[in-house]
Formats: sequence, C-alpha cells, structure tokens
Amino acid sequence: MRTLPAAILGLAFAAGCTTFPRPDARVASSEGAIRGAQEVGAQKVPQASLHLKLAQEERAKALDFMRTGEYQRAEYMLMRSEADAELANAMAREVQAKRDAEQASERLEALKSKVGGK
Amino acid sequence: MSIRSSFVIAAFACSGVFLSACATTGMPPPELTQAQAAYKKAESGDAARLKPAELHSAKEALDSAEEAYKASPNDKQKVTDLGYIAKRKAEYAETQASIAASMEAKAKADAETTKLQSSVVDSTSKDMKALRAEVSRPKAETPKERAGRLEDEKKAQDAMEGLRSSLSVTSETRGIVITLPSSVMFATGQSRILPGAQSQLDKVAQALSTQTDRHFTVEGHTDNQGTDLMNQILSEQRAQAVRDYLIVHGVPAANITAVGRGTTKPIADNKTVDGRAMNRRVEVIVEKP
Repeated sequence: MRTLPAAILGLAFAAGCTTFPRPDARVASSEGAIRGAQEVGAQKVPQASLHLKLAQEERAKALDFMRTGEYQRAEYMLMRSEADAELANAMAREVQAKRDAEQASERLEALKSKVGGK
Repeated sequence: MSIRSSFVIAAFACSGVFLSACATTGMPPPELTQAQAAYKKAESGDAARLKPAELHSAKEALDSAEEAYKASPNDKQKVTDLGYIAKRKAEYAETQASIAASMEAKAKADAETTKLQSSVVDSTSKDMKALRAEVSRPKAETPKERAGRLEDEKKAQDAMEGLRSSLSVTSETRGIVITLPSSVMFATGQSRILPGAQSQLDKVAQALSTQTDRHFTVEGHTDNQGTDLMNQILSEQRAQAVRDYLIVHGVPAANITAVGRGTTKPIADNKTVDGRAMNRRVEVIVEKP
C-alpha cells in the first residue's frame, strides 16, 4: 500500500526522464541566436536589449534544468531563449533599417530643393 | 485506500502527459491570450505581404500553443511556454516586415535620387554644350568686339585728359591731400617725372615751401595690375622721385618724407578702367600741425 504512490511517483519521474531526450541541438542553436543578436548590437537598442537579457536568463534556467535532468522543461526554456534572441536581433536591425530609409529620404529632399532652386 | 489513492494517481497523471481527463475550468494562461492578440496584430500589418513565411511560422507556433491548451489545459507550464514562444514569433514577423518596409522605402528614395541626378547631369551637359558653342563661335563676331574695345579705350583716354587738367586738393582727417594722377606724371612703369608734369609740380612746390613749420608726406599708390611686390617698389620709387623734385624746388628735406603704399589703399574700383586710373596716383599730404 505504501509502495503504490511511490511506484506511481517513480513512474512519473522516470517518464519525465526517458520520454524526453537531451536537447543538445537546441543548446547549440540558442547560443548561436544569442551571439547573433549581440553581433548586430542588440545590447545598444533599448527594446532589443531587453529581449537579449531575457534570452540570456532563459538560457541559464535551461542549463539548470539540464543539470537536474528535466529535459522537457529545458527544451521549452531553450525555445523561449531562442525566440527572444531572434526577436532582439530583428529589433536591432529594424533600428538600422529605419535610419537608412530616413537618410535616403533626406538625401532625396536635399537634392530636390537644390535642383528646384535652380 | 481507493478514493485517496485514485486521487493521488490522478494528481500525478495530470502532472504528466498521460491523461487529459482532468480538465478543469479556468482561464487560459495570459501568455496564450497575448499570443493570440500578437498574432492578430501581425496578421493585419505588412507581414502578410512582406514576410509571409515568418507570419506562417508564427501561426504554427500559435497553433501548437492552442493545441496544447486544448489537450492538457492543466499543463500550465507547457501552455505558458508555447504561448510565450508564439507571442515572440508574432512580434518577430512584425519586426521583419518593418525592416522590409524600410528597405522598400530606402530603395524607392534611392531610385528617385538617381533619376533626379541623371536628369541634372543631362541638363548641365546641355548647358555646357551651348556654352562651348558660344565661346567657339567663328571670327565674324570680332569686328563688333573690336568696336566695343575701341570705345572703351577712348573712354579711358578722355578720362585721363580730364584728370590731367585738374589738380585735386581735399581736406581730410589726416590733413590736406593733394592728389596727382600717375598717368600725368610718369610713363608706364617708370618713376622718372615727365616734362609735362613739371608745371603742376612747380605749383605744389611753391605752395609747400611757404609752410616751413609743417611736415609733408609723399605717398605713392598703384592699381592692382601686376604683382604686389612690383607695385610696392614702383610706388616707393615714384614717391621718392616726387620728394626729390619738391626738395630741389624749395621744400626743406627735413620736412618731407616719401613712402610707397603699393596696391594697399585704392580709392576706386580696380575692376574698371577708370577706377584703375584713379588708383594710380601720388598723394602729397600736408599734415596737421
């Protein structure tokens, strides 16, 4: 009688361990995503740096889960990290793209006024 | 045992993924509802047109989250995680679309700039062609040009005659200034006093020699044709020549100094023939006591 709950507990625990493989591939890809965001300067853009920080925290949590054998939780945490890193990356590049478009527009306006004033 | 242990079994089953029978009423985790809202927002923007692949990826993530919620609504952690991911993917699609839109705008502005620049180049080269044609027009224009030039030269000559007949004397803050046009007094580039100028200089010498207690300064001036150095030297030499003449004709040497001012003090515009003639002068300044 006392062993029944223990047995179920053991079963649930074992299932958590063996159903989910170690998410090694995702450990690598999430690290790549964070690095990518850093390379485009996400830490310098306010919104982007927030998501970069979240990505780093999530990754740290995921590695903790890996150590305790909770691979499913680790997997999902790494997926979150990757999603935040990619968003940080895109936000950083968005700032640059907007700046480029503005400069192109200003160049055009300057040329128009120069030509018009002829 | 039965009720209590079945409860325990059910509790453990719910924490896993074995049974979905333990559905309870409750709101979906906020991450899911936010993901749904984020997707709707991304879908209604530029992403559908510019970044359909990223938008589709966001939809798939949202579907996974919703399926997880339907299948095991009590697995809050999983639904939360999938909802969180789906929300980020929707935001990602939106951001990518924004980048693409900015790049579109930049490309459009650049294309317009290039077009405008080439039209400016075209019209400028047309202007240049017309100008070149005018400059290289055949000699048939020269007689007209020659007539114009002769007219200008006569005007200059007349002006010179006018100057010759007058001796300008003015009162200024620095003293009384007697202005002698160089064209009257010297040949071009020379500092020897011409015979024709002597009668005028004699008058000046007469006037000055009566004022024994005053000091005089002879200043030579030129126009701006030629180098500054050349003009400086010439103006000095001419000033000296006038001083020498005045000394010979009665002005005490101690009372008179000569200085060259070169091109530095024009009184008229060096760009005109008349102006240049006026700048070529010698001034005799009778200083205030």
